[in-house]
Amino acid sequence: MKAESVTSHRGGMWAWLFQRITAVLLIVCLAIHLVFTHIVGIGDISYDTIGDRLAHAGFIAVDIILLAAGTFHALNGLRMVLMDYWFTSRKRALALTVVLWVVGLAALVYGIWALWPWIS
Amino acid sequence: MAEITFRVKRQDPQDKKNPEAHWEDYKITYEGNLTVLEGLFYIQEKYDGSLAFRYCCRASVCGSCAMYIDGAYRLACQTNVKHLDSAGSPDPVVTVAPMPHLPLVKDLVCDMTDFFAKYEYIMPWLIRKSPDPEKELLQSPKDRKKLDMPIDCILCGCCYSSCPSVWGEENYLGPAALLKAYRFEVDSRDEARKDRLSRWDNERGVYRCHTIMNCVEACPKELVPTEGIQWLKRAAIRRRLFGRLK
Repeated sequence: MKAESVTSHRGGMWAWLFQRITAVLLIVCLAIHLVFTHIVGIGDISYDTIGDRLAHAGFIAVDIILLAAGTFHALNGLRMVLMDYWFTSRKRALALTVVLWVVGLAALVYGIWALWPWIS
Repeated sequence: MAEITFRVKRQDPQDKKNPEAHWEDYKITYEGNLTVLEGLFYIQEKYDGSLAFRYCCRASVCGSCAMYIDGAYRLACQTNVKHLDSAGSPDPVVTVAPMPHLPLVKDLVCDMTDFFAKYEYIMPWLIRKSPDPEKELLQSPKDRKKLDMPIDCILCGCCYSSCPSVWGEENYLGPAALLKAYRFEVDSRDEARKDRLSRWDNERGVYRCHTIMNCVEACPKELVPTEGIQWLKRAAIRRRLFGRLK
């Protein structure tokens, strides 16, 4: 073990902290999402009924938070798993992080684009 | 007189004729009680003087004789064969292997070089910056109580050998070194919190711990390294975000 090999992996606190914050957001937003989709249903699940629900700004906000928190939580979880296997060196771990950020941001933009008719 | 069989995992990587690992059985007769370490002495004296194993204090204080005995991490000196699962059978067999997932030197002796390099890396000693008082450094009973758990670590390496994060990442500090970092972080007399922070607050330090808890299960002293590591993660947030050093 070389000392520099430990400190070369700086950071990690923000990823760890946001993994916990997004976990709490997921519990709250998923509960709202599931309750309003399956329990306090406003008719059958169809394009029109979901469109009616998305007319409320609150549901748009919940959906966007759900999308952002879910994407971060899943991809960071995947990153932690992959870093235990092949992506152990600093260079590989950095490349993995960059790729996952690109994938995550693309998913977020695509999701917001899909919601755009109701946002605008 | 009682009889028991020791099934010992033997391997000498330096032996060019037979470098592979293999199991060898030894019959041991004893009266009263027998620890695994006493059994190994018996084998060394009666059967094979070349059997290699570490030991020192024989009182479960030094941590030298940690082994994988009957499928669990144990200290050979504190393991009475009568307390093992196999003891109840009419023809008891005790398996004795070196700690897994560590480089092997010979037979039951593991290479602990990396383990101690990581231990040293987190600066496991009391560091003072203010001038020493005239007499001893005082510590309140409440502050002393915080050290009760981590100071019992005997550096046997069981937690380190059992940790899947260590298996996957050779540069991960591991539970023993991080527990020792925790031990000094909670010590009211220590004044090197800023210096140590950068050593464990990274992804080869505390954030590599996924709270798998193998270390807690493996520890022969029944310590909880995971608790210390989780405390360090929270301490990193307190220090980096709120500037609080405690």
